[in-house]
Amino acid sequence: MPHEVIMPALGMAQDTGKIVSWLKSSGDAVKSGDALFEVETDKATMEVEAPADGYLTDVQADAGAEVPVGNVIALISDSAEDSGTLAKAAPADTASDTPAEPATQTAALPDGAEVIMPALGMAQDTGLIVAWHKGLGDAVASGDILFEVETDKSTMEVEAGQDGFVAALLADAGEEAPVGDVIAIISTDKPDAPVQRSIADAASPKAVAPEKTEAQADEPESAKPTATPTKAAAPKPAPAAKPRADGRILASPKARRLALEQGLDLNRLVEAGHPQPYHASDIEVLKALPTAPAAGTATAQSRRLTADLPHDGFAAFAAWAADTAGLKDAPALLAGLAGASLEGDHAIVAIETFGQTRAFAVPAGPLGAITPADDGAAPDLTLRDLRLSHISTVDLGAEDTPVLTLARAGDGLSITLECAAHHLTAREATGLLSEFAGRMEQPLRHLL
Amino acid sequence: MRDITLSQAVNEALAEEMRRDETVFIIGEDVAEAGTPFKVLSGLVEEFGTERVVDTPISEPGFMGLAVGAALTGTRPVVDLMFGDFIYLIMDQLCNQAAKAYYMSGGKLNVPLVLRTNLGATRRSAAQHSQSLHALVAHIPGLKVAMPSSAYEAKGLMKTAIRDDNPVVIFEDKLMYNDKAPVPEEEFLIPFGEANIKREGADITLIGTSSMVQVCEAAAEILAKEGIEAEVIDPRTIVPLDEATLLKSAKKTSRVIVVDEGHQSFGITGEIASRINEKAFYHLDAPALRMGAMDVPVPFSPALEDITVPTPEAVAENARKLMSGEMIHAA
Repeated sequence: MPHEVIMPALGMAQDTGKIVSWLKSSGDAVKSGDALFEVETDKATMEVEAPADGYLTDVQADAGAEVPVGNVIALISDSAEDSGTLAKAAPADTASDTPAEPATQTAALPDGAEVIMPALGMAQDTGLIVAWHKGLGDAVASGDILFEVETDKSTMEVEAGQDGFVAALLADAGEEAPVGDVIAIISTDKPDAPVQRSIADAASPKAVAPEKTEAQADEPESAKPTATPTKAAAPKPAPAAKPRADGRILASPKARRLALEQGLDLNRLVEAGHPQPYHASDIEVLKALPTAPAAGTATAQSRRLTADLPHDGFAAFAAWAADTAGLKDAPALLAGLAGASLEGDHAIVAIETFGQTRAFAVPAGPLGAITPADDGAAPDLTLRDLRLSHISTVDLGAEDTPVLTLARAGDGLSITLECAAHHLTAREATGLLSEFAGRMEQPLRHLL
Repeated sequence: MRDITLSQAVNEALAEEMRRDETVFIIGEDVAEAGTPFKVLSGLVEEFGTERVVDTPISEPGFMGLAVGAALTGTRPVVDLMFGDFIYLIMDQLCNQAAKAYYMSGGKLNVPLVLRTNLGATRRSAAQHSQSLHALVAHIPGLKVAMPSSAYEAKGLMKTAIRDDNPVVIFEDKLMYNDKAPVPEEEFLIPFGEANIKREGADITLIGTSSMVQVCEAAAEILAKEGIEAEVIDPRTIVPLDEATLLKSAKKTSRVIVVDEGHQSFGITGEIASRINEKAFYHLDAPALRMGAMDVPVPFSPALEDITVPTPEAVAENARKLMSGEMIHAA
């Protein structure tokens, strides 16, 4: 079993070492501890010793070569003959060891360690392979640069991470691969049937790309190689225009508080494609956004009504309901009072408190029958509870649903109804607000 | 105002208090003729004699226990613990006895004792003489913990500590003994629990303890050149902690980095960052970050030792990340 001679790491921040001179020649008998070659780093020149007794063979790099740390540069073998087990991996000649004819597209993938497209940025979905630095069948050491990848932020070199041979390349230079997808395979032994394909070829992803995104699968054209790597140097990628799949918005506590205090909806930033997470500075962007197109045309026909109550009876009512009827979910009660104020038998009411939204299904009937609404059910009415904030009046314009806003007014309560003209007629709007105001002032009346 | 070294400041504080109050005495290893390995106490035995500057054998648990007894019976001992690392040896005397006597006696007994010791790595003193163990004692109710960041604080906090009727542990940074700072000639005390705003800024708050205050100030200089105005705060005592000043600054800047030379895990940085995250949550635009020493025994290799403690460059780099809105999960 031959011993490998690798380029040692002699400094803290050393990536490569330069072989100044060989002190032994290929085929020489060496003893463990003999100086084999001199290496120069940015800091010092040092002699590197043989790790074992034997013969120096398979020398991979000549004097003067810069070799990445960790690369095998020679073997100490039992005989003086080159074993040939090392592919020429010296920097100058990457393609000298031409591999066998690449196997057909459908061939099973060789065994080996999978190399995946790494996530180099927080919001990165794909990476553009700028170039492969190793060819099919090439020998690679763990620290060798395997390929270059470009994201919206930067171009980076990615190391092989494994010693071995490039047994499969599953994406072409110029192609964009989803983060996490396997793009190469490194085998321990020299591969008999190396596989080369491109992402565009791999219409049926098989096991190679288990996490392929829908977009990629549906639109293979989009995965076609891009003309030049410079394309992605454009300032920003088209950001995801949809909310995140789980519906949560990533925003700092301060950004949420500012949005709430100013009555701003972070969803509008999401819809505008503004990249998350949101910070206080993004609230300025939110404020500068043009109003939503739907609202823009309807502004002239929007309705805004305000009711002022000297007394907020809800807290006492909620306490009474919890004690006597076991109805402990105050937002559900609030939804009940609002839903019952709408005309119709059944309503979905969304309660927005402190940036959180909960939707309730409010049937005609007792308050106990209120249940959380099904996911995705569009609310008929939104109730924005700002009683715990310092906001006293709102004038936010119509939104997708009629919005009732509760704000503190001294010891009492100020209720504002805002809606588009097509949501509610003037009669319906005044009816809704006066019904609801009455219920908030004397909730027990609702039970009668 | 003249500039004096941190050593001289401590020496002056002790001499002034020993002159003022004859019950104050010093006890420890090599405190008399030797004046400690750091020469902090030079000249004191000449003025006050070996009755009040007491050399002991190498016997930390012994002289610490002795000092607790002396404090319980009416004197004000200043115990010199040569290296902060030796605090492990005196844990029972300090944490079980001194820290609890007042509480367990229903206020009938008190222990007016000062434990002077040190912290700080990068002195090439290896893993057993380089630790910063203030978090160990800050964890114990009944102990006050002062961390002077310059000669000025060293003097003012020492005088306050000696006059305190309960046990106080003072950690001096052993690398700062020769650092000079302006110190008034007239008498002054620095009250405990009052943070010092070393530099005002609107963008980010850097909270540093002991020598990390200098690190934060250097980071603030770097950041100022890039248009980031950092506020630097020195809590001066971590027990009691001036939470109000820290929270006010956190609410103003909405970003905080806490820098301390103790190991990062379960340390001072975690405690302070957590209080800010709890009490200023809705004002924060980024998580309050901890930057402590690496969770490793302090290496003897200089190259390795230097990378275990926070540096101005590292603080500035984290500050930039917070400012740019990058999501950080680890410092």
